[in-house]
Amino acid sequence: MEDQKRAARAWIRAQTAAGRAAARPVVTLALAGTLLAIGQAWCAGMLLGALLRGGRGGLGWLAAGFALAALARAGLGVMAERAAFAAGAAARRRLRSEALGALLATGPALLRRSHSGELAASVIDRIEALEGLFARWIPAATLALAGPALVALAALAADRLAALVLIGAGLAVPVAMALSGIGAAAASRRQFLAMTHLQTRFLDRVRGIATIVLAGRTENEANALARAAAELRVRTMRVLRVAFLSSAALDAAAAAALVGLAIRYALLLRAGALAGPGTALFVLLLVPEFFAPLRAFSAAYQDRMHAVAAAESLSALPPVPPAPAILPVRTVAAQGVSVAFEDVVLVWDPARGRALDGLSFRVPAGETLILAGPSGAGKSTVIEILLGFVRPDHGRVTINGADIASLVPQALARFTAWVGQRPMLFAGTIAGNIRFARPEATDAEVAEAARLAHVDRFAADLPRGLATPVGEGGFGLSGGQAQRIAIARAFLKDAPLLLLDEPTAHLDPQSEGEVLEGLRRLALGRTVILATHSALAHGFGGRRLDLRAGRTVAAAERGAA
Amino acid sequence: MKGFRPLGRILALWRGRAFWLGLGVAVSLAALAVAVALMERAGVITARAFLGVAVAASGGMAALGVGRVMLRYAERMTTHAATFRALADLRVWFFRGLARRSAGGLGFRRAGDVLARLVNDVDALDGLYLRILVPLAGAVLLLPALVVLAGQRSLLLGMVLGLLFLLAAFVLPWFAARGTAAAGGELAAAGAGLRVAALDALSGLREVRAFGAEGRMLAEVQAREARLFALQRAQAQRGAIAQAAAFLCGQAAVLAVLLAGGIGPVAAVALAFVTVAAFEAAGGLPRAGALAGQAAAAAARVLEAAEGPEAMPDPARPAALPVRFDLRFEGVRFRWEAERAPVFDGLTLEIPAAARVAILGPSGIGKSSLAALALKVVAPEQGRVLLGGVDLALLPAAAVRTRIAWLSQATHLFDDTIRNNLLLGRPGADEAALWAALEAARIAEVVRALPEGLDSWVGEGGARFSGGQGRRLALARTLLSEAPILILDEPCAGLDAETERAFLATLNVVAEGRTVILIAHRLVGVEQLDRIWRVSAGHAVAAAA
Repeated sequence: MEDQKRAARAWIRAQTAAGRAAARPVVTLALAGTLLAIGQAWCAGMLLGALLRGGRGGLGWLAAGFALAALARAGLGVMAERAAFAAGAAARRRLRSEALGALLATGPALLRRSHSGELAASVIDRIEALEGLFARWIPAATLALAGPALVALAALAADRLAALVLIGAGLAVPVAMALSGIGAAAASRRQFLAMTHLQTRFLDRVRGIATIVLAGRTENEANALARAAAELRVRTMRVLRVAFLSSAALDAAAAAALVGLAIRYALLLRAGALAGPGTALFVLLLVPEFFAPLRAFSAAYQDRMHAVAAAESLSALPPVPPAPAILPVRTVAAQGVSVAFEDVVLVWDPARGRALDGLSFRVPAGETLILAGPSGAGKSTVIEILLGFVRPDHGRVTINGADIASLVPQALARFTAWVGQRPMLFAGTIAGNIRFARPEATDAEVAEAARLAHVDRFAADLPRGLATPVGEGGFGLSGGQAQRIAIARAFLKDAPLLLLDEPTAHLDPQSEGEVLEGLRRLALGRTVILATHSALAHGFGGRRLDLRAGRTVAAAERGAA
Repeated sequence: MKGFRPLGRILALWRGRAFWLGLGVAVSLAALAVAVALMERAGVITARAFLGVAVAASGGMAALGVGRVMLRYAERMTTHAATFRALADLRVWFFRGLARRSAGGLGFRRAGDVLARLVNDVDALDGLYLRILVPLAGAVLLLPALVVLAGQRSLLLGMVLGLLFLLAAFVLPWFAARGTAAAGGELAAAGAGLRVAALDALSGLREVRAFGAEGRMLAEVQAREARLFALQRAQAQRGAIAQAAAFLCGQAAVLAVLLAGGIGPVAAVALAFVTVAAFEAAGGLPRAGALAGQAAAAAARVLEAAEGPEAMPDPARPAALPVRFDLRFEGVRFRWEAERAPVFDGLTLEIPAAARVAILGPSGIGKSSLAALALKVVAPEQGRVLLGGVDLALLPAAAVRTRIAWLSQATHLFDDTIRNNLLLGRPGADEAALWAALEAARIAEVVRALPEGLDSWVGEGGARFSGGQGRRLALARTLLSEAPILILDEPCAGLDAETERAFLATLNVVAEGRTVILIAHRLVGVEQLDRIWRVSAGHAVAAAA
């Protein structure tokens, strides 16, 4: 936890340094605005002074100056906002690509540890939450010093003591903010974690809402959600109670400076030590301008706290795995992929023991291997290793004699096709989901793959055929229909190594027979590894390997003997 | 005006929080009144001092100053506390509304999109009270105050100030609101699109890796991000321009006060100070207007999701729950969508109480629709479904579902502990009942071997267990329920043959006295059944038991 905080702080420091250059236009524009504001204060002070003296000469020029400066300030304000947005957008774009790239490079093993909703929240919400850091906090941090300094210089030219009063009141602000800010930062982190938990919980409950409704538990879940939201409110208010103290400190400092200076000038005027009220009014009007950058800084402080909390969750993301050492390019002929496992050990979770426990086997090119055994025997794990989802903890897996660890995932993906147990259907049409296997495929090729996998049989009954949209988890399609789309993907991919993980688990005997026929045709001339526990094995010619507890049955019996 | 009606609906939802919301507004108005009074006093005292008039004791001013700082703090606390209460209500209301409409699953409404709706849209509504209504109430108070204060001295000045204030606090925000209301829906859709793309890439990490689609997925996310940024930029630009225009109104007002002749120097200075304070208080309103436009679009989406037409409204005068639990389909005709062929046409079958029946047929034939009809997730187009002789149309859906437990292919395992997943089936079940259900589902051994036993986390969709184990956990939950009718829709999909046989054999014993409806594409031979129906071509045909 401490390490994480330190990492987050270091991350913020590095990002702040990087963001300062991007913030330069914003700072420049804002400082130009402050200069104009000083000019306006001078014009207004002189105008008021003239008013109090009863004279009306030269008022036109002063009024024109005031109006022109106002117009210029308005224009500068619009430009500064545009520059701030650009700085924030550039940073978000860079960080999001980095984070998502790292997640994609790490791959499916992530899903065993993290909820995809949580990961998506990191990539979307955490990075959106950094907008304020780059668009507001970084410029505001620079301006909090430079802005008041500029105003104090103007005050110095008019009245030395007044400048000192302003600087004194200004210095009190960061002290008060630091005192209240420490508590606020810790509370902000707690609130942020609560928010993440609430969002993850909600996504999960929404995904299973049918299960909740049909179990008659809507009220209980709604009440649990209300409790979680109430807890979040208490946490948030704890943050704000402290955070608002720093705003109150700022209000008090500004009021004290104004009253102090007003009393000073009243005394000076009574003593006749001041020639006219113009200068005094100019200095008084500078007071709000002096505190404006500090106010902006105080408002942006929340942005920084959000950024720190977001940075913690981002620094908790897995590091990008090291790319395998580049070996000489291996070309894998479409006809010849052989696979070998040599004494492979894999542990998903130390509490559950070894998923694979010294497994060895060979599949020569063009042959079929059937992995049989009860669920939990390690059949799917073999497939996941070959797909590059996970690396063995011990032992060697080779493809055409090359260690799988020396292949980049993209190279591995190029010569494998896969049909898993529960295919993921993406937002889009049925045809789009099939084309996922090979984006450059023609419509005719997609239609042919759909035909071979018997997707066309049920698609014909759908309102828009292959162009029918499918939603989350493929609503409107049965498990068997979704499975046939996955099989169509494998047909379209046309890869030399075919990995089948219970491809007909959700099909009825008739569809199973049809799909099997297609799969057999697809298997011709390819290397096939089929994990199954059903009668499918009998319909699929090939050598059979029985697995039990991560070992071949023969090896397990030897071990027991 | 029509575009802003959803905001009215959201406000109506908050009626129960009127006290907290009203308190926030009241404190805020008090803080504003004190701030303006303070500026007025400050102006008068300063002007008198410069004119050499004796200054009265400034104790009153100090009190106003302290009061202002304290009231501002109180305002921030009360308005925020009120907002969070209102937001919690909104979340819970949204969840309930969604639950009433989604018994059949989320359908084409993607979970990522729904999440975006709740998180982003509800957050957008967060500003409705705090950043729109509260400052608007302040502006409503300030407008007459400013006009009267200036009008006392000069009618013309009062009118000019009133007009400028009207422009800055009402007209400009109104245009800003109109502008973003049009773009707000697009912006929210772009945000949801980005989230769905990210969720697709991350939930589908297996497919992405297996098909080497990393680059494509990243490019898709970047394209959606660029679209979102373009809309955000336009939005920010509109806000900045409205803001600048309001700033200029304030500056013009100050200039008007300074240049207005004949109102006396003290009054002029005091009025100038009040004008500055008033326009500063209203300065945030154009941005608030832009926000209101966004909030209106968000509110419309939230309402659409939570208040759309209910697929299965409950009867106005529900019949009493029957005491018998025989289930009867009479001449049922049903289709999922109007343009699709009917799944059933003239389906008639009867399942006596405590019977064990199987309904067989190839996948995609509509066997699951039978369960949906029995659970009152959908209604037949023609014909009736009767529970204990009472038409389901006359019974509340929730009551039907206390009598029928369902294990479907889509049954969800929640990212929670095994215990909490099981308790969904029967809240308040004791430890022994939980273990009995796990035994029945042939999963107790696996759970017992876990270091944390019943308190082990199951992971997203049961990801920490194999497919077969996850299905057996869901099964244990179904068995735990006390419903007299169990519908098991392909309960053995994903189980190996040995486990499947063992499980079906157990089912013969465990569900004694309950109706068991087994929906499957084939039988394995160990099931003890009273009756078998085969579904084909929209009809059910009795087959030999």
